[in-house]
This record gives sequence, C-alpha cells and structure tokens, in this order.
Amino acid sequence: MRDVKVKANSKSTEEEEENEMSSSLSVKSTPEIEKKYVHRVYDAIAPHFSSTRFAKWPKVAAFLESLPSGSVVLDAGCGNGKYLGLNPSCFFIGCDISNPLIKICSDKGQEVLVADAVNLPYREEFGDAAISIAVLHHLSTENRRKSAIEELVRVVKPGGFVLITVWAAEQEDKSLLTKWTPLSPKYVEEWVGPGSPMNSPRVRNNPFFGLESIPETDVSAKEQKAETSPSFGLESIPETEESTREPKAESVPETQDSLGEQNDKSSVEVLLEALKMNQQEYFVPWHLPYHRAEVSGASASALASGLAKKDDRKGTVVYNRYYHVFSEGELERLASGVGNAMIVDRFYDKSNWCIVLQKEALNQD
Amino acid sequence: MRLITHNMLSCNIKGVTNGFPLKIEAEKVVEKEVDFNPDFLRHMFAKIEWKALVEAARSMGYAELPEDSPDATVIDSADETFLRKLHHALLELHLEEGALVCPETGRKFPVNKGIPNMLLHEDEV
Repeated sequence: MRDVKVKANSKSTEEEEENEMSSSLSVKSTPEIEKKYVHRVYDAIAPHFSSTRFAKWPKVAAFLESLPSGSVVLDAGCGNGKYLGLNPSCFFIGCDISNPLIKICSDKGQEVLVADAVNLPYREEFGDAAISIAVLHHLSTENRRKSAIEELVRVVKPGGFVLITVWAAEQEDKSLLTKWTPLSPKYVEEWVGPGSPMNSPRVRNNPFFGLESIPETDVSAKEQKAETSPSFGLESIPETEESTREPKAESVPETQDSLGEQNDKSSVEVLLEALKMNQQEYFVPWHLPYHRAEVSGASASALASGLAKKDDRKGTVVYNRYYHVFSEGELERLASGVGNAMIVDRFYDKSNWCIVLQKEALNQD
Repeated sequence: MRLITHNMLSCNIKGVTNGFPLKIEAEKVVEKEVDFNPDFLRHMFAKIEWKALVEAARSMGYAELPEDSPDATVIDSADETFLRKLHHALLELHLEEGALVCPETGRKFPVNKGIPNMLLHEDEV
C-alpha cells in the first residue's frame, strides 16, 4: 500500500485512482498462492484431513464453554467443523471457503455455508461470539490477515468476544521447521505479489514498517475484505507432524532453482540469510496416503498439474500448504490496529499464538 | 440453511448498501424437528429482524408468524404459542434447494443440499 502511494505521487490522478483500485483488489481478491496452495489443497485432501481433525484444543473448548447459554457463535474458517456444537447450549454457524470441507460439516448436521473469512456475508453484530481457529496463517498478506480480524469484530455484538489462534513461528518442536519448505525471497515476491511489499518478511519485520505506519490502508481494508482460507482444526502442530514428515532435502528444489537462476550468489546468500533470521513464509507438506480414495480423484489431476508430488518411499501424495507463521507479538500488533475492539487475553499454547478480543460495549452509532 | 442463518446473511458485493435481507427462492424445503428452548428463543428474538423473518418464512411456505413484531409481554408470556411458532420458523425449516437473491443487485447465491454458497466473483469484491 505504501508502495502504491509513493508511485501514485509521480503519476496522474487517473493513474492514482487506478492504482488505488488495484491495491484494493489485491486485498480483497484471493491471491494465486492462496488459491493454489491453500484452497485447492484443502479441497483435494478434505476427507483425509477431516479424518485426522478430531482432537479439540482445550483452550478453544474452554473459551466456547465459557459463553453464556443461548449465544450465537460464528466460526469463520470452520474446516471440518470440529468446534461446531462444542457447547450444546450455544448455536453455532460455521463457514469455510472449502466446499468439500463444508459438505463434511453439513453431513454431520451442522449449520454451515461456503464463504470467505476475509469477506463474511453477515450483517453486523449478529454474533454473540466469533472464533477463528488456525485460519489467519493461510492468508498471504498482512492486509488480508487484518481484514479477517476486522470481519470477526464487525459481526459480533458490542461487548462480544472473538478468539483467534494462529501457528507460531516459535515452535515448541524446533525440528519441525526443518521439515517445512521456507519460501525464498524470489517466491515470496512472486506469489505474495509485487503489489504487496508489506509482505516481504524483511520489510514486515522491520520495526519501521509496523502497523502504525500504514494508516492509509485502513479505509480500503475496511470496505474490502477478501477471500480466505479454510481453517481446520489442526492447531497443534505435533498432530500435523504425524502426517507431514518430509525430509527437507526433498522439499526444497524450488529454493534451489531460484538460487540457480541468480548470478550474484553472495547477495542471494545474504538475502536468504536475512530470510532465515525472520522466516515466516512456508510450505508445510500434507501427506495423503496412496490408499486414500482421494488419491484417485482430485489428486490425480493435482499430480498431473504438478500441484502435488509422489513420495514412493512413504507411499503418499505430497501437497504443500502455504503458511505465514506468526512471530511473537505480531497477532497483537495486527489486532491492535483494528478499531473498536480490545485485546482482553493473550496466550501461547501448543505452538500457537492466541488472543481474545472484546468488541467495545458502547456502540457509537 | 435455517432461517436463523438467513436472518444474518447479507450480500456483501462491493458497493452494495442494502444487501439485507436476501430474498428466498425456495425449490425444496425440509423440516427437521429440534428441541424447544424458550430461553434461547427469547435471546434470539432481540437479534432477529422481524420483517425479514416473516417474509423468509412465508417464502418457505410457513405463514403462521404475525406480520408485526410482538411486544415483550408476548415474548415473556407463559403462553408459549408464539415461541413455538418462532421456534419452528427459526430452527426447524431448512432451505434445502433454491437460491438467495440480493435485494439490490439481483445476484443469486445458490443453495444446494442445504448449503448456501456465498462466495463472490473476482469482480464483486
């Protein structure tokens, strides 16, 4: 956004408007990286994914159980719906961008719809509470992550609570990180998009590019809201781990490629080094066993198109899922930039950063 | 999709200011019995946009709700006749097949197997 503003200064008003339009589009419409490495992957692995998502995270359960009887709870990015109905005295409405995951919820009798967590099709203040469990880390730009938080706040009543959990960059099991594929600077730019300079990890982690410095994005971020991702319940990475072991060496050819295309290796090394220091963009593998029925369906075309790869040694089809893992304080910083809500609780648990927001009780309207 | 959900849904296409309530085009409606919970209904009553609910119920073939929103005495009354109707309309009627239509733009959101698809196209966000 900041980048757009700078450019606009040297251009005509018309071009400026155009730039603002394209910048707003970039926030609201789903970037390719999310379509390909989040939505398509969950659509393809939905039944297998769902069969592994049953462990309910105690802190989420405690939050839901603390809600007053009769509360309407909105789960934005509900995945296979494992939290829907957790408190039987509340009424749950779930949504997810993945049609196959929502179908799984619906088959269980849950009240669900297909919608984008960055652009919730809900009128304001209907919910008594809202949850976003392991969703925001699938959004590839800071503005989109912030939009998703704004949406959660928008749809709850004044005084209502919002629970948000995201994967932490600070993993309890450090060895896990070696099983993920860090996105190289080249790919971060290509996939996250050149229009999103805020998303370069180098920029994002520079304190001078903190949230305070981008108030000009607020307006567009509010009236927009974009697409989102499926959430799913796998907050606890150790669980993921079970089905996602993959030696790093096998999963970094892309990084190698990008290195090979560069002439100035020393500067690339410097870049990669910097990225490693604050690496937050990853591909996290999902292993779909050959014996799963999905392998003959969506996975066949995924293999044909190169979206997935075979791992004969493990007997699995391997999908990569895009993650932006959150650094300490990042979720709070993002949420504190959202108006009319206060952070009332924050904690780290099972390799996730979590916050509880409360919407201002007094509505100025 | 139940009508409690319909009462929350709104068309959020960019530029739309009156995306609520969505008009229901019902092709198939099913009824599923659920437990009656008067306290929940009283709580929900405060949230509900009454006209939208009456209209929605009617489009689903249920015309038992009063045109005008009942006052607090009816809601709190020991006589649960009204609450039973509210219960049926909000929680037991399901739009199984059909569409939700944006009142401003006419954009149709399909409902298949009870699931509304509210995803927008690229040019609508």
